[in-house]
Amino acid sequence: MSAIAAAPVRRSRRSWLFAIGLILVGINVAVALLTLVWLPYDPSSTAGGRLEAPSLLHWAGTDRLGRDLFTQIMIGSRIALMVGAGAVAIGAAIGVTLGVLSAFATRLLDDAFAAAFDILIAFPTLLLAMLVVAASDTASLGSAILALGIAISAIVARLTRILAKRVIGMDYITAARTSGTSWPQIVIKHVLPNIWPTLLVNFALQFGLAVIAEASLSYLGLGAPPPNASWGRLLQEAQGTVYTAPFGAIAPGLALLILVIGINLSADGLRDIGDPTRRGSR
Amino acid sequence: MSLLTVEGLKISTDGRALVSDLSFAVGAGERMGLIGESGSGKSLTAMAITGLLPRNISARGSITLDGQQVIGAPERNLGQLRGSATAVIFQEPLTALDPLTRLGRQIEEPLRRRYRRDGLDPKTVKHEVLALMERVALPQPERIAAAYPYEVSGGQRQRVAIAMALACRPKLLIADEPTTALDVTTQAEILKLLDSLVRDLGMALLFISHDLPVVANVVDRLTVLRNGKAVEQGPVRDVLGAPKNPYTKTLVEAARAFDQALGRTP
Repeated sequence: MSAIAAAPVRRSRRSWLFAIGLILVGINVAVALLTLVWLPYDPSSTAGGRLEAPSLLHWAGTDRLGRDLFTQIMIGSRIALMVGAGAVAIGAAIGVTLGVLSAFATRLLDDAFAAAFDILIAFPTLLLAMLVVAASDTASLGSAILALGIAISAIVARLTRILAKRVIGMDYITAARTSGTSWPQIVIKHVLPNIWPTLLVNFALQFGLAVIAEASLSYLGLGAPPPNASWGRLLQEAQGTVYTAPFGAIAPGLALLILVIGINLSADGLRDIGDPTRRGSR
Repeated sequence: MSLLTVEGLKISTDGRALVSDLSFAVGAGERMGLIGESGSGKSLTAMAITGLLPRNISARGSITLDGQQVIGAPERNLGQLRGSATAVIFQEPLTALDPLTRLGRQIEEPLRRRYRRDGLDPKTVKHEVLALMERVALPQPERIAAAYPYEVSGGQRQRVAIAMALACRPKLLIADEPTTALDVTTQAEILKLLDSLVRDLGMALLFISHDLPVVANVVDRLTVLRNGKAVEQGPVRDVLGAPKNPYTKTLVEAARAFDQALGRTP
């Protein structure tokens, strides 16, 4: 009784959360696009006073050099989205390919793949990022994206492998085989569509994690070098003055929080859309 | 020469025999019933005929299908046989259909393959999908074509699965317990449908079931399997009328006792 009564309430609350998530992500995307054509201040202009508190002129205050923080946070949202999208794209392309191959491979090869994924997942992302940076001579936005993409690909590959293996064992795959469907056709028409909803949710979660990881990398100086105003670098720059001008750390932190919460809330809603059995009943 | 000839078929895993020394033949347009309790190796035999045994299960002996040897054949040759020589209908229509693909598309897929194979005009595929759905007596074919498997009833799902098998125009239709998951009324309808389709389209039928009365009504000849061995074989009338093997006898008697308990005369 209670379960029946609770279901619609939970569903509608879920769709509310999905809407809030989309709005938060949407705001970030809109701001990121806006930075391409308009900024409130020149990001390198040091015209403002040093370490000013938030005011009508400077919404998030100014940094040590008198630059407008809100402008830098806006640019940071563009960088965060670029890193998230780039890393997830690389991770998805490599991960889904390897995962599907592994699921179809012979026992021995599959075991080798699975072990490789596990080792890569156990490898610290920061260390991996340092290796990529070391290999590419300088820290850049590209090296951060590549490092995070590789880290994500292992997680995606392992998930894809498990999901694909489960689908391959289903009767409808055998049924498709008996009517003469080739393996590539089965992957495209049956395996991928059936694992896609779960993968999509995972991509969204990885996107959020990548945004946070990029902030960590930038904080350590392994991400986008100046003058790229990554949120992680803003946090690092504000560290020295966090007691006298706390808003310098709070503002980029809040921006990061808003984007990641938005992404995580969207992730759940995405799963409902991908699954027709949930779609109709919402 | 028969359409399907199984000779000395041995299916085993890890040295354990699952089917041993099984031989039977199905001629073009002929209907053969493969009957036995669960675990007797019926479904494995069907999978061996399509060359789709799991990797850890191996088959030896000889299976010739439409003039081609199946056992040990390369995957490419098998792919050509599947669909053109055989199609399979499974026991559980819910799991045999892709849950995230609309039913019309699922019928369309094997149909397009046959159209390519036979060089037919692909523009008429959509029309043929609806024609096939009408053929298997699905009501409102347009609505069901746009539906997902979970949105239609079990009987309708099995009709869709039959339409998918028909889309291949196979010479041999393998029905692996096609009515076991259905209620008795639906079961009777599906049996009638299969019976008329096989007759009208001139397909051969390999009907696999554990249910003696069900099989007896659809096929001409029977092979009774027990523990992976054929214990009796012959025309339905002979096997059921004068069973020689003790196991077959108990099967027939059980079916008869069941009918008497229900007040029916066999």
